[in-house]
Amino acid sequence: MKSSLLLVPAVLLLAGCGTTVNTVSRADSLAAPSMVADRRVITDNSLAGMVRVVSINQATVSGNLLKIQATIENLKRSTKTLNYKFEWIDENGMAVDSPNETWKQIRLQPRETTTISTVAVTPRAVDFNLKLKE
Amino acid sequence: MNPIRIKKLSAAATLSAAALLFAGCETTPETRTIDSRGPETLNTSSINSQDWANAADQLVASLLSSSALERAPKQPAVLAIDRVINNTTLSVDTDLLIKKIRVALTQTGKVAVTNTMGLGERAVVAAEAAELEEMTTGKKQKLITPDYTLYAKLIQQTDRSGKQTQNTYSFQMSLVDTRNGLTTWEEERSIAKLTRRPSVGW
Repeated sequence: MKSSLLLVPAVLLLAGCGTTVNTVSRADSLAAPSMVADRRVITDNSLAGMVRVVSINQATVSGNLLKIQATIENLKRSTKTLNYKFEWIDENGMAVDSPNETWKQIRLQPRETTTISTVAVTPRAVDFNLKLKE
Repeated sequence: MNPIRIKKLSAAATLSAAALLFAGCETTPETRTIDSRGPETLNTSSINSQDWANAADQLVASLLSSSALERAPKQPAVLAIDRVINNTTLSVDTDLLIKKIRVALTQTGKVAVTNTMGLGERAVVAAEAAELEEMTTGKKQKLITPDYTLYAKLIQQTDRSGKQTQNTYSFQMSLVDTRNGLTTWEEERSIAKLTRRPSVGW
């Protein structure tokens, strides 16, 4: 009787965790991404413990436009909502006001790894900031 | 203290308490300016300002990543805005999407949007200026034929299950090469909104 009483909350606890995402990919990837060495400023430790930026890579599209892609991972065993925004900076360090600089929302499944990306709409953009918010 | 005075005082105290209570209940409307492209925007079952911006951004990113504009016969490629069909239940100005795409594409320097044909903004004063030029010089003004046309359609699908309603808005867009009528790029992006009705409502 006592053990069954202990089992019930344990089952409920496990049921509440839900299922996580399993991923399968090629063992030796053929892709050769151009990785970006990044610098991080963490002001929200809770968010940093929830979502991790695994890597950032870049490419040039349409001849001269910078495309940035960030691989992010949900570290939690529950679905999380993340707000993010890319900002562009020109070669003089000035912010480039771009129409696509908007906060976007993404739902991450438990332990899911996915990518977020954007394309600069001006060739003047050479650098970027990626902002993350819970 | 005589009883009449006590009654008067207690009545005054009751009135004061009631006045304070009503004053406490009264709320003044509060308005503040927020970032129209930020996470503070109201999330409703319809398409909000953030959704329009996101849809436009995703479509522009897809078009630029496809390099379709790289194959244009001239740079910048001349683009005419074709029909924008709104098949949703929302009465919205489709320029909420199209204008954002026009601004982004024009900023790239790879596209120049023509205003002399299609559903693009009619440049009334420019047309009048061209007519005046024709009258004074006697030379027919040359219109530039568009290299591409941009066609868009908005679709809404509503699904209901119990107390939940899901509205899925699809943003479809195609870039057509006017030389051969072939579609050189097309994309569909969707935004789904799940609304749950409250358990008790009156």
